[in-house]
Amino acid sequence: MAKYQRQFFPGESKPAQNRRRYLDPKIQLKKLRDIPMDDVVRLMGHRTPGQAYGSIHAPIEEATEPECPIRKLVVPIEGAKAGDRIRYIQFADSVYFAPISPYQRAWMYLSRYRGIDTGTLSGRQIIEVRERNLEQIAKELLDNETFDPALTGIRGATVHGHSCRLDEHGLMFDGWQRYLWDDEKKEVMYVKDQVALPLDKKIYVGQPAPMADLKERTTIFRADGYDMNDDKEVVDFYIRIHKLRTLGGYRPFDVKGE
Amino acid sequence: MAGKDEKLFLDACKAKFKEEPTSMETKYYCYGGWKQSKSKVEFQAKADEIAKKRGFPMMNEDIGVPLGQRSWMPYRLSHTDLVVEADDLHCINNPAIQQAWDDIRRTVLVGLDSPHQTIQKRLGKEVTPETINAYLETVNHTMPGGAVVQEHMAECNPALVEDSYVKVYSGDDELIDEIDPRFVIDINKNFPKEQAEKLKKSIGKTLMQAVRVPTMVGRLMDGATVSRHAAMQISMAFISSYKLAAGEAAIADFAYSAKHQSITMGSMMPARRVRGPNEPGGITFGFLDDMVQSDRVYPDDPARAVLETVALGAAIYDQVYLGGYMSGGVGFTQYATAAYTDNILEDYVYHSVDLIKDAYGGFCGVKADDYAKQMKLADQVSSYALEMYERYPAVMETHFGGSQRATVTAASTGIAVAMATGVADNGLNAWYQSMLQHKERTGRLGFYGFDLQDQCGSANSYAYRSDEGLPMELRGPNYPNYAMNVGHLSGYAGIPKAAHLARGDAFVASPLIKVAFSDKDLVFDFANVTKEIGRGGLREFVPAGERTAVIKG
Repeated sequence: MAKYQRQFFPGESKPAQNRRRYLDPKIQLKKLRDIPMDDVVRLMGHRTPGQAYGSIHAPIEEATEPECPIRKLVVPIEGAKAGDRIRYIQFADSVYFAPISPYQRAWMYLSRYRGIDTGTLSGRQIIEVRERNLEQIAKELLDNETFDPALTGIRGATVHGHSCRLDEHGLMFDGWQRYLWDDEKKEVMYVKDQVALPLDKKIYVGQPAPMADLKERTTIFRADGYDMNDDKEVVDFYIRIHKLRTLGGYRPFDVKGE
Repeated sequence: MAGKDEKLFLDACKAKFKEEPTSMETKYYCYGGWKQSKSKVEFQAKADEIAKKRGFPMMNEDIGVPLGQRSWMPYRLSHTDLVVEADDLHCINNPAIQQAWDDIRRTVLVGLDSPHQTIQKRLGKEVTPETINAYLETVNHTMPGGAVVQEHMAECNPALVEDSYVKVYSGDDELIDEIDPRFVIDINKNFPKEQAEKLKKSIGKTLMQAVRVPTMVGRLMDGATVSRHAAMQISMAFISSYKLAAGEAAIADFAYSAKHQSITMGSMMPARRVRGPNEPGGITFGFLDDMVQSDRVYPDDPARAVLETVALGAAIYDQVYLGGYMSGGVGFTQYATAAYTDNILEDYVYHSVDLIKDAYGGFCGVKADDYAKQMKLADQVSSYALEMYERYPAVMETHFGGSQRATVTAASTGIAVAMATGVADNGLNAWYQSMLQHKERTGRLGFYGFDLQDQCGSANSYAYRSDEGLPMELRGPNYPNYAMNVGHLSGYAGIPKAAHLARGDAFVASPLIKVAFSDKDLVFDFANVTKEIGRGGLREFVPAGERTAVIKG
């Protein structure tokens, strides 16, 4: 029997290829910017740079753990070892060719990171993890190609905007205006953290990518981009899931050779 | 109705936004905030007045996220010209939505066959058309709160309970001919001939009462009280009109039949829902479908009837039940109204009807077991709906919540397959196909809890086993997987309606409910659901159960 190889996602279209690329932990995603770690910490707003991590329990080494085979098998992540709080970063992704969309974020997070919890909604995706691990992950996610300054928003609350039309600078709507367009620098700058508290300093997150570029990078199928109906394998894939679930619940004896 | 290539939502979109509906770009943060909304301005002025009077703060539109950063969207009630603000559609603000629920809750159907047998066989008295008429006159005195048996009794003020009455109907034309027409819901008059024949055949010779207890009773007590109020006042009417002994054991039969051989609109729910009988969570989709009367008044437009059903479902199930009873708070209006405003679902459903007629052999042209063809149709309809969101950013922004788009897209898909096959369960299965397609195509769907049901729904859509499934007509908010299925219930309700209309049926689940809601004396017009809700939003709708009659000044 051949060794199983993860396939991540079917299809040959660009969004299908992008999905595979984002999901495959062996692929290093392109780093497009380098936001200083202190600014990442400021954007999230869970602690001020330099402040000690809050903890919810003593370091595991100092605790007396019950005898448990699972605890022996699972190596704790650094934040868990230290007893960090669980904190979050949440991204909103525009329907207008944001590099990645909520479900692909969920799949990517679960494929690439350990010790996380994630929740999927229509416009936003939260990732929750021990704080020191979160900061590493957040920096990765802000620096790499899954983030676009115009079409990805860092939003803890009042997240809607993913489906709104874009403003005159091509930015996704944000009810709190956490970020603004700097017309001189032609860059997007954050003036509020993810729960819309004003920042002490402006944090620049770079220039938005051209729409033509984003259409090639996105995971989103759209009629005015790459239409899912043009990728037969993806269509067959979703129909197969539906059909097998239907038959599995209704006429399981009809599921043969699938 | 617009031509095949004309998008039905365009007018509403143009009224919402100054940009072309196809434009992806607009301006934000420049519209003057909440002050661009007439209702918010009114709210703030009132809140200021209240705060001043009571000496501590009330609502303040400047608290929280700045409202009105976007251009304030008005909402057009689908298939009407009525335009309102979102606030006007909140069920607390909209008396028509409240009355729709009041009219449903306060209706109980009580058969007369059993009490007539008691009177004749046990008490030895004759039942004739004359005695029935005398009883009906009496019960129309007792039901609103009139006393008949004891003297020196307190009664209800008629001005408070003017909406209360009792009428009868039957499939037996000869019997009905003998009854005082003022007390009759006349099937022959109310329904097109073909529908009337089917209804009368299904109802048979039974003589049924449509009892409307006062709106006030349901409001002050609860849904379960409705049948008790009816039973008490029916018993009194029998005692008085047939000159019976009030303490005789046989009288209990009247109360028993009224309480336990009657049909309330909402079935019992499990204890974990903490709701009594006859509450909106117990209304099956089939019952709700039969309350809607569009197919009676506009028999040549089945799509309209389906859309009206979705609208009623959105108001009762999503806004009142899930948004109010189960969740509380104010968040559900924006979500639920997407299904009945701005002609978006309208466009998808009428497009589906055209597609079914052009390429799938018309209504019921696809066999219930031709799964490949059903999946093909579902794929086409769902793709069309999603494409409209992509081609028309104004439509996307109108349904700015993913759950709104998911529900509306899946509803159109489910309705299409239900119409193409004439089977509601086929339609339901297509709903779930749409959800999976939507998720795969856009990389997003609704919210956590919403997605759960949709990703396992394919597997239970055909299940009839207890606690796993039911025929779609008998499912409802009470069905385990739909108990917190926010935003879905409206669309679900449309699916059995679509199937039965495609088959040419005169009702979905109950001919008795269908006839009961055809009565012109109901306060809410169930043939024009969106129009009524729009009138409520415009403050033109006059509900029942108002207390002004007993308030000085």
